[in-house]
Amino acid sequence: MWASSSSLRERKVLVKEMAQVPAVYVLGGYQTDFARNWSKEKKHFVAMMREAVLGALEKTKIEPGDIEVAHTGNFAAELYSKQGHLGAFFLEIDPAFSGLPTSRHEAACASGSIAILAASAEIEAQRYDLACVVGVEQMKTVGAGEGGDFLGTAAWYELEAKGIEFPFPKLFGKLGDEYDKRYGLKDEHLAEISTINYANGKLNPNAQTRTWYMNYEHAMSRDEFNGSIGGRIHISDCSQVTDGAAALLLASPAYAKKWADRMGVPLESIPRIKGWGHNTARMRFEDKVAESKGAEYVLPHVRSTVTSAMKRAGIADVSGIDAIETHDCFTTSEYMAIDHFGLTAPGESWKAIEAGDIALGGKTPINPSGGLIGAGHPVGATGVRQALDSFKQVKGEAGEYQVEGAKNVQTLNIGGSGTTSVSFVVGT
Amino acid sequence: MLAATRAAAGGRSSDLLSSRSIKHVVVLGANGAMGLGSGALFTTAVPRVTFLARTKDKADGGLSAAVKMVRSSTVAKRVDTGSYDADFDRVVGEADLIFEAVTEQLPLKKEFFDRIDKVRRPDSIVATVTSGLSINQLAEGRSDSFRKNFLGLHFFNPPNVIVGTELIAGKDTDPKLVDFLDEYCTKLLGRAMVRTADTAGFAGNRVGFKLLNECAILAEEHGPLLIDELVGPYTGRALTPLATVDLVGWDIHRAIVDNIYELAPDEAHETLKLPSYMADLMAKGVLGRKTGAGFFGKDDGGHRIVLDPKTRKYVPKASISRPDLSFIDEIANLHRVGRYVEGMQAFAAATGPYAAIAQKVIAGYISYSFHRVGEVTDDISGIDRIMGYGFNWAPPSVLVDTIGVRPTIQMIEKAGLPVPPALANAQEGTTFFDDPQVNVGKFFVAA
Repeated sequence: MWASSSSLRERKVLVKEMAQVPAVYVLGGYQTDFARNWSKEKKHFVAMMREAVLGALEKTKIEPGDIEVAHTGNFAAELYSKQGHLGAFFLEIDPAFSGLPTSRHEAACASGSIAILAASAEIEAQRYDLACVVGVEQMKTVGAGEGGDFLGTAAWYELEAKGIEFPFPKLFGKLGDEYDKRYGLKDEHLAEISTINYANGKLNPNAQTRTWYMNYEHAMSRDEFNGSIGGRIHISDCSQVTDGAAALLLASPAYAKKWADRMGVPLESIPRIKGWGHNTARMRFEDKVAESKGAEYVLPHVRSTVTSAMKRAGIADVSGIDAIETHDCFTTSEYMAIDHFGLTAPGESWKAIEAGDIALGGKTPINPSGGLIGAGHPVGATGVRQALDSFKQVKGEAGEYQVEGAKNVQTLNIGGSGTTSVSFVVGT
Repeated sequence: MLAATRAAAGGRSSDLLSSRSIKHVVVLGANGAMGLGSGALFTTAVPRVTFLARTKDKADGGLSAAVKMVRSSTVAKRVDTGSYDADFDRVVGEADLIFEAVTEQLPLKKEFFDRIDKVRRPDSIVATVTSGLSINQLAEGRSDSFRKNFLGLHFFNPPNVIVGTELIAGKDTDPKLVDFLDEYCTKLLGRAMVRTADTAGFAGNRVGFKLLNECAILAEEHGPLLIDELVGPYTGRALTPLATVDLVGWDIHRAIVDNIYELAPDEAHETLKLPSYMADLMAKGVLGRKTGAGFFGKDDGGHRIVLDPKTRKYVPKASISRPDLSFIDEIANLHRVGRYVEGMQAFAAATGPYAAIAQKVIAGYISYSFHRVGEVTDDISGIDRIMGYGFNWAPPSVLVDTIGVRPTIQMIEKAGLPVPPALANAQEGTTFFDDPQVNVGKFFVAA
């Protein structure tokens, strides 16, 4: 009795009192410029890992020898670069990493967040005091068609991607179709999402699309410059093919205290991962949709990821969240995120768009960084980039894309067609 | 500080942007590469852009190329096209900004400015995209209001890809206009602006074509293939030097270096003299890629051929043997895994006659750049910005920071070149590059 709505099981969220678990502090991080093409630079992805990790160390004034454990998030280096075993590449970054415990984590586009989860779990378990997480993906090693086929392995390849040109836009086009069927969906609202993400990306000096041309009129155009990639998904609805890495340094309370003293800042000023959510839905998109038939939310497991992260952070609802960094691999996924975060009632995401709530300066800005559409989507790096941007927001270090007074920022990182979802609340 | 390049002091961005308004731009020469590329850029931010050329057909051709550059047909709605004969007086009279991108010839540009002066509104801006002609000279004989509102706005080709842009004020240009246009281009056109003095070649071409011409001179003895490998991507550039000259065109290269050679005799004067073999070949119609071949080309069978400057003839690339350049391979391998500092330190430490050639060119680039501070820009960061954002070359400061101050000085001394005082006086450990937004690793291409 799998594919029926009656089988949808609400997973109980066992939320431990935060006091029982040591806090995980975010000391800082670094993101590479997502506009770079590392294949044109003739670089190996380890160069990208190296720049991100050394950048994070320099930014936080931490010596490499202080890092006790390292986690790499990466989706498909085996395909893009014919190379596995990415944890071990940490040792190519600095001689001080000799002997360092490392591992690599994969959950499609959620790989980066899974790496953060693993690192924070080890800090909570008091195994280590300072962990380095790096998310990395080099995608421009191959052409668009081949890359699209590789990305198909994030779905059930044999059933949903094999022999299909650009399978993922088609899957997320179906997400739009499902919204349309249940609640109605207008292209105008998707175009607005794209417009906002590109506009925000122009404010982000690391965004891939910061010099690209985009506005609502273009997002609504339908000629050869903005053709359909799959059903209702047009070029302007898509996130980018991106080379990039992002690194984050996570610390135990003991290390964070020591570091805060050294830096001359109060411990309370250092952001923490206040809550997390993590769920998995069935691989095939049609199974997900069948499961949620008649339910309020189109992707209920995504909804519980978001709410359990808030619950663990002790935040009642989205009104306690100042900004969101969500997984807009396509405009339809952000459209889905709007109601799944609870910004509107289910099916009414368009209301938040029309009210201006999600734009920079709105009630709950979504993707001030530009998100996956504006900033770029190096698959395995995205979850780490989202957490890093959340960190920058709560520290007031986001420059021109700063959300004024942000205290709590929440991420949503999704692997596959809503299959693995991870959410963090980063705040002070 | 150079008066001409002085930056806005304390002016707030929003105040500056509201101090003027650009609602209509007229592009003159809108069928040429720079005209249509700049026009494409303006269509992304300006409500109305007029493309003008000798005929309306040519202007229409410029527009369709511009649409392809922007990759959106929506911009065409904001564009009208016309010819100099039928539309010039009317549209120039309406424009807030008149952007001149006609052929790089002083008398021709003067002719256009004369016409503009007669019909423009007294408050309209007149900008020229000249890559080397003097702004003050271009402004000579014009009305007071023209000279006050006239400046150089040097985009690099293609402007929708390369964001580095030089802003050059003349002696009579209104400083408030310079501040406004700097802010406007930064905020609305996404430009990385660099203010330069009105000197030959401004900052980018002065420094950039000095290196390119030096490579062309060296090619006479060593051959283009070897020189392009010695001063190749691993020294901090995407495209090799002589392939760059082929791409921009030998005629453009000549116009730029001749201009600098004539007007700016400096400590590297001889490196700016066009080699005679290039002049000979140009007389026979060789202009680089646009004529099929320059330093490099392909024979009728599609096989790569390389110029032998000594004989003025082409030889098959496959017939040229590569000497032992293992130092380059080692450096490229370090760059490939992100170990740029080790790579460039190995560069400075490399020995042998070939390494010495490469070191001399790079040392010359650094020395020449630092010696231009105070002459073409206020500080080294202006030159750094235009070399990074305009040429996509490792800026001189990035090279110094990566190689280290001491080894850089040694490299300059070994090449017999003057050590810039800024380097001689620097403490060990001093860093020069000051743009935290730039990933310096991107310049060190692993080839």
